[in-house]
Amino acid sequence: MINNKTFLIGGIIVALLIGVVAVFLASGDPDGLESTALIVQGQKTLTGDTPPEAEIQEDLTGKFSYESPMPDYSLGDAMGSTGGILAIAVGTLLAFIVVFGFAYAIKRSGKSTDPNQ
Amino acid sequence: MHIPDAFIPIGQGIIYWIIALVFIALALRWARNEMSEEKLPIVAVLAAGIFALQSFNLPVSMGTSGHLVGGALAAIVLGSPFAAVFILALVLIVQGVLFGDGGITTMGANIINMGVIGGFVGFYSFKGLMKMTKSMPISAFIAAWLACLIPALACAVEMFLAGTFPLREGLIAMGVYHAAIGVIEGVVTVAAIYLITSVRPDLVDDGVKTTAGAKAA
Repeated sequence: MINNKTFLIGGIIVALLIGVVAVFLASGDPDGLESTALIVQGQKTLTGDTPPEAEIQEDLTGKFSYESPMPDYSLGDAMGSTGGILAIAVGTLLAFIVVFGFAYAIKRSGKSTDPNQ
Repeated sequence: MHIPDAFIPIGQGIIYWIIALVFIALALRWARNEMSEEKLPIVAVLAAGIFALQSFNLPVSMGTSGHLVGGALAAIVLGSPFAAVFILALVLIVQGVLFGDGGITTMGANIINMGVIGGFVGFYSFKGLMKMTKSMPISAFIAAWLACLIPALACAVEMFLAGTFPLREGLIAMGVYHAAIGVIEGVVTVAAIYLITSVRPDLVDDGVKTTAGAKAA
């Protein structure tokens, strides 16, 4: 059995490796929800391929819109796959830190307020 | 199945957010009262792993791709559906805010689908199947498959209520695609449980280990 430190570092390395491989090997096809939207909009059939020019039409009337800093897990076309790797690495590490930090803080605060814990 | 902002009117998005917040509050209570401090490493590593795996879209034919969602994985490994809500909510916040994967007003709906429905379906179907089959791989595969399919059907209903998809067409397409994507969910979930159990069996919930599962039955 490996200790906590090895498990944490090993876990992060495995996650980062998956992210790097994803940048190069991930499929560019739309996901299930996007494919369904393309069917509804008449750009695709249920079992047919997605045409390369297919694009989801978004009606933003009465909807919220937000510009994220790293859309589509990339840092823009100029950065290419390096940008993709950086974006996914930042996300993976942030997911780790946010969840660890949150869980840790909850356990700490739980201890000071609830003597039964 | 990350719903973008454009797919749900703001008013409906707020309703999903309110429901999601109730489950987030319950998940925080789970983290404070039931998650032991020894589990911190596995909770954080699952978050990193689920984030990375969600960026890995694999082709499922029919011009469509999909990736692991991870609700069943988190719930099974940590022995509670609220573990899935806790981890998926935070992962979805990072994805939505930083990467525009899933909207902001639709984040509540995404947390409900992938965290709440995925977590509860994954956890309870795993528990039931484990009692029947006594086999972790069979139980985890089917539970994870269901934890991909059922949230997708819920998503199709939400899209109907939002006026984005017609009901029948949405249910059929979402169902067909996620029945295929669910195979990825099943395979990756079983592989991840094997991997984690082989390096740190103590961090995995007792319900996962066949002997304990058999005992419970």
